[in-house]
Amino acid sequence: MLGQGTRLYWAIQWRRNEGLGALFLVLAVFAVIYAILFPGILAVGAMAKFVQGWFPTAMVAAAETMVMLTGGIDLSVGPMVSLGSVVGASTMQGPLGIFGGVLALLALGTSVGAIVGAFVAIGRYPAIIVTLALSFVLRGVALLIMRRPGGFVPPSLSEFLAGSHPTAAVLVVLLVLLWKFYQATPLGIGLIAVGDNAEGAYRSGVSVTTVRISAYIISANLQAFTGLYVAAQTGSGDPLIGEPLTLSAIAAAVLGGVGFLGGQGAMRGALAGSLLMSILINVMFFMGLPLVAQYVVQGLIIVATVALPLIRASLRRAS
Amino acid sequence: MNAVLRLQRFAATYSRSLVAYAIVAILWIAASLLIAGFGAYAHLRYIVELAAVIGLVGIGQTIAVIGGGIDLSVSAVITVTAIILPLVTFDADATGLGAIALALLVAAGIGAVNGLGIGYLGLPPLIMTLAMATILQGLLILIAGGSAISVTNPSLDWLGSTHFLTISVSIMLWAIVAAVCLFWLHGTRSGSLIFAIGANPVVSRLSGVPIRRLTLATYVISGFCAGLAGLLLLSMNGQGYVGIGDPYLLSSIAAVVLGGTSILGGQGSYLGTIAGAVLLVTMTALITVVNASEGWRSVILGCLILAMLPLSGRDQSR
Amino acid sequence: MHQPILEARSVSKAFFGNPVLHEVSIELVAGRIHALLGENGAGKSTLINLLSGTLRPDGGQILVDGRPIASLTPQEAHQLGIAVVQQELSLAPHLSIAENIGLGAYPRRGGVVDYGRLAAAVAEIGKELDLVESPDTPVGRLPLGRRQIVEIAKALSIKPRVLILDEPTSSLSAPDVAILMKLVRRLRDRAVAILYISHRLNEILDFCDHVTVLKDGSVTADRPLAGLDPDGLIRLMVGRDPRNLFPPYVSRASGDLVVETKGFRAGGAVDVDFELYRGEIFGIGGLVGHGQEDFMMGLYGAIRAEAEQFRVFANGAAVRSAPFAKVADANAVGVAYVPADRRKEGLLLPHSIDFNLLLPLFASHSAERRKGAQETAITERLAQRLNIRGDRRRQAQALSGGNQQKVALSKWLALEPSVLLLNDPTRGVDVETKREIYLALRAMAAEGKAVVLLSSDTPELVHLCDRVMVFNKGRVAATLSHAEASEEAIVAAAMGVRKAPTLQGEAV
Repeated sequence: MLGQGTRLYWAIQWRRNEGLGALFLVLAVFAVIYAILFPGILAVGAMAKFVQGWFPTAMVAAAETMVMLTGGIDLSVGPMVSLGSVVGASTMQGPLGIFGGVLALLALGTSVGAIVGAFVAIGRYPAIIVTLALSFVLRGVALLIMRRPGGFVPPSLSEFLAGSHPTAAVLVVLLVLLWKFYQATPLGIGLIAVGDNAEGAYRSGVSVTTVRISAYIISANLQAFTGLYVAAQTGSGDPLIGEPLTLSAIAAAVLGGVGFLGGQGAMRGALAGSLLMSILINVMFFMGLPLVAQYVVQGLIIVATVALPLIRASLRRAS
Repeated sequence: MNAVLRLQRFAATYSRSLVAYAIVAILWIAASLLIAGFGAYAHLRYIVELAAVIGLVGIGQTIAVIGGGIDLSVSAVITVTAIILPLVTFDADATGLGAIALALLVAAGIGAVNGLGIGYLGLPPLIMTLAMATILQGLLILIAGGSAISVTNPSLDWLGSTHFLTISVSIMLWAIVAAVCLFWLHGTRSGSLIFAIGANPVVSRLSGVPIRRLTLATYVISGFCAGLAGLLLLSMNGQGYVGIGDPYLLSSIAAVVLGGTSILGGQGSYLGTIAGAVLLVTMTALITVVNASEGWRSVILGCLILAMLPLSGRDQSR
Repeated sequence: MHQPILEARSVSKAFFGNPVLHEVSIELVAGRIHALLGENGAGKSTLINLLSGTLRPDGGQILVDGRPIASLTPQEAHQLGIAVVQQELSLAPHLSIAENIGLGAYPRRGGVVDYGRLAAAVAEIGKELDLVESPDTPVGRLPLGRRQIVEIAKALSIKPRVLILDEPTSSLSAPDVAILMKLVRRLRDRAVAILYISHRLNEILDFCDHVTVLKDGSVTADRPLAGLDPDGLIRLMVGRDPRNLFPPYVSRASGDLVVETKGFRAGGAVDVDFELYRGEIFGIGGLVGHGQEDFMMGLYGAIRAEAEQFRVFANGAAVRSAPFAKVADANAVGVAYVPADRRKEGLLLPHSIDFNLLLPLFASHSAERRKGAQETAITERLAQRLNIRGDRRRQAQALSGGNQQKVALSKWLALEPSVLLLNDPTRGVDVETKREIYLALRAMAAEGKAVVLLSSDTPELVHLCDRVMVFNKGRVAATLSHAEASEEAIVAAAMGVRKAPTLQGEAV
């Protein structure tokens, strides 16, 4: 019986890769190019630094994907990460130390996620506007707590998370494992079902509201803890540091194939997308291209990824 | 049809927009009574002048949203216009109008690229305009770097400083463009088709609505109006720099939503956006006066949008 | 007498002020196959939704094992052993067959899904239904008929005490239908209460024990099936001699060709030769998904089409010599299309009736100002033609299905089209409105318009049409004249059965 179950599970996982072949291929090609151009990247230290740079993008890509899988979108990722860094840097001086900071971030992520989830899943307000409004509120709160970068991050934490340990790589693996675990629970599978066919999921007895709110809560927590990581990297909290991450998160999710109708993307696609963008940025940087070229390339990638399947579809209709 | 019925029908259709006007009226009256100088004509006129920039960007944004889309590239277009104009103003061009025309052409051209991608390639508006904004951001830094570029353009100076009968030319510009927009949306058949597309693009397509053409028009208008806003901003600032347009993306969306137009498309009016723009500037003014910080402004703005949600249309599907 | 497992007592339900069910009662008893019969639009789907917890009644009660349940939800319904298979599938295309079957009721171990037990359950059910596909297959890859089997498997997985089947055989192949029939009989023998909705009268007579008839939201009959024949059933459903539903047949077909095409291809339809004459009502039949809809959409320019030859005529001259590349081109030469799904494809629900009526006119003549008086006159005229009453400023979604269909049809009349392509125009429409629509179609034919009527309702094809073209597997299986077009002939052609040619006039 166990063998049958395990076989089914892995067969299903393998089938989930369908459609992502092109993305994985492009990723592999660029990874190889990167390694050829800069063989130094293959050293453990350099690799660790690379993963540390990639980690925040990967986390927010995962957070955005979760929300987009339910058919929604989150425009407040950037401000949430900033707020996370600010809260993290403000709460670790207390008697509870680092643990206090973690608790505070957990409270932040859970409460914000629950509120947004309630607005979207129960109130049925469009996620785009709710999270837009939220982005204003979160940015404001971050600025109110900390006018400019400051606060305190214990050096031991900074060293652990963003120093010369391969912690970031371990955290990425942990993220993937947690996602796989979640995807084996009814709530996790329910997430895909709701994104695919919300009415059908409801009729099947899935609690659509619970699935959606859970997605927003988990997503918000991921964002809050990304803020902690960024604070550890820079050594302080910064109310505006997360701004560019909103765009990266959406771009990565789109690259991973998460359509705006939900249910179409795999988390692995989004992570692969964020990795691809990180590699591209690094390659361009090392090639001496101006930093801004990354923006142009990012934009072109987004368009190409979405346009190609559409073009292919219309060509198919023509034949 | 008698006047009372007409008024009733007007109120019913535009009830959501009227809420925004009501809030503005309340704030203006209260502030004039409580804060010295707030109610002065020059001050209120200044608020409306500042609102004109948001209002102009809001034209394109309103049309795009009613049509079921959104334009996330408006801030980039504003910055492009503000940076390009100084660069293309030559001495040979005496009035400076040539440069203005060129800058507006570029702005409309960017909108056309958006419109082609969305209308003809079928790219989702969020993605297309987001990508466009990203690409433009990169190009802008390449062109202008971190420096500010000053402008000397006679026409622009005239725009920024002239008053006719105590009304600034900028406000008149906004009024004229707003009137054209309102006429198009509510007084012509093609304008009403935008509402149809936003309500249900499949029905529209099967009913023969020229969706691709109208989508192209929508985003060209959006680009053009963002260009106008950029010129106005430049005339007030004197210099263009990278990032000058950034605050106006979220402001334009906020003005549209506060004005009662549903983000889901298919209904709403630019009338509301006008009030939304004035409301945004009024709030900033109030917060500056009471010396509250940027943080409070942001929080209050966000809460205001959340408070307007019940008016903004709910997603009825599960 | 057993206590019914599931019962609706005097339930009522209205949408946007439109009453759909009025004090309807029905009892589902163990070990009985109970048929639910009624015209489209009689309220069957709504009743099912009330019984399964998807919707809650405005009045009346739902009782399980004699106990009234206030606010039944789908979750609770599953726990109580109530399973539904509806026409609109509840599957998630990106999940595998196994995950779909277990959705909402996964076997668990700790907090995680127990894939072992799931695999075993899926295998067991799969055997009963002859589900040969691998359980890890994403459901989106399966054709509609196979997806329906997965939907049925899903219902079975909760080991139901009550099974409600809504037109389960509509997209199934013949062998799958047989398997399903056997399964349902087995369930009946195991004391499951079964509610079976179908249009196929022979199926019902063969197979069911008891029948409830819904007509315009009320129960008009509730009795055992013993002693009923097909005509008796129809009389219960329609309440009148079926022949009175249709206006008397009169051929208005002229010799003037309006559309002609050879070797037409669009979507799933291939190799179609087609001629349409002015004044004709031309019927198109076939089982769901056999290419007839693609043919019509290709004809309209809504999907890409190709043809060896394609001509549209007006006033004797050819005005088009290639298939339409876009809808606007079709509209420009007077071709209009009314889609099957009026809520999603035919009407702008949140907009007023007026705006909906004016939409095609605005779309084809968009470079003009709005003029209130002129528009009121136009919509007034249109409303009168098909008897659309009431305040036309109301939102379209506030109308009944029948009235919505009238608006969806009328809006094209402002363009004075010469060809009307109608896709299942009377689906979900009440009997009165059906009659009005049939009369309107006859009137249009008399005016010289050409009507192409695609219908899943065979009697419509038989009684209204001058000729009927039946599709099977994407090709034209038969083109029947009015005399040849009987229900048996149409169904046979749709199923791909070749019939021996009969002498003219002889009943098939």
